[in-house]
Amino acid sequence: MSGLLLAPVIAIAVLLGVAAILAVQQGRQHHLVGRRVQAQAGTPTLPAILYFTGEACSICKTAQTPALRTLEESLGGRVSVREIDVAREPELARAYRVLTLPTTVVLDASGAVADINVGFAAADKLRGQLAQAGLAAAA
Amino acid sequence: MKAIPFDRSVLKVNQVILMTGILTGYFVGLSHPLAAVALPVLAAMMLAAVLSPSLNVPRLLYVHALKPAGLVRPRVAVEDPAPHRFAQLVGGVFLVAASLCALTGALLAAWVLGWIVLALAFLNFAFDICVGCIVYAQLVRFGVFPLRRVSPA
Repeated sequence: MSGLLLAPVIAIAVLLGVAAILAVQQGRQHHLVGRRVQAQAGTPTLPAILYFTGEACSICKTAQTPALRTLEESLGGRVSVREIDVAREPELARAYRVLTLPTTVVLDASGAVADINVGFAAADKLRGQLAQAGLAAAA
Repeated sequence: MKAIPFDRSVLKVNQVILMTGILTGYFVGLSHPLAAVALPVLAAMMLAAVLSPSLNVPRLLYVHALKPAGLVRPRVAVEDPAPHRFAQLVGGVFLVAASLCALTGALLAAWVLGWIVLALAFLNFAFDICVGCIVYAQLVRFGVFPLRRVSPA
């Protein structure tokens, strides 16, 4: 019986271990900031947003896609938004270490990673990040 | 993806039953090992719910008792239920594994697995963090599940 008292402790330890691995993975993703990922994303001549999405991502459909449409409309042709279905382009998702959908990656005009947003990112937040990435009058 | 109106309250009821069942079974099981019978019962509930809505005990309880009585309010969202079904399947498989451990006398392993399911159910219940759904998204990403596209209307 006394051994059974350890069950919740062991279970929580296992889950914390998994959470720690995920946190390390996320930390590795943030190491990409300031670097140019040599992947298949192409070389943008404008600040760009890579929008990682997928069929199973409901918040992508209900929130992230509309937010990006709003952003594109307000910025005209000054930003390029590329939608990437992670099931169709797993190599690109792996290169940017995408673990969660949606993930939005803001690239500056040289193609270097300026910001990475894990989960939903509002249009205003992305606009601010684009301004920092060098897009004039985006903010 | 097949987005349909989906009542998340059914999931909440399922999670409450799961958490209550595991907690009760565990604490009773500290003095009465036979209480581990809660594990296969909950496993059967989870797997039956995946098989058919008509076998989904939490859904039946919600639709026929809790909702009409006003005890649980509907929380309808338009989304794909597949990730949630997958999460239930994973929970069910964990509980089947826990049941097999209990059956072979490995009670500690059985209740560790039970507590993992409990913790994940709590995360989903309290914070809407569906770990099974995240795993599902990763499996779609790696091409384990085929893409299903809905033709534009």
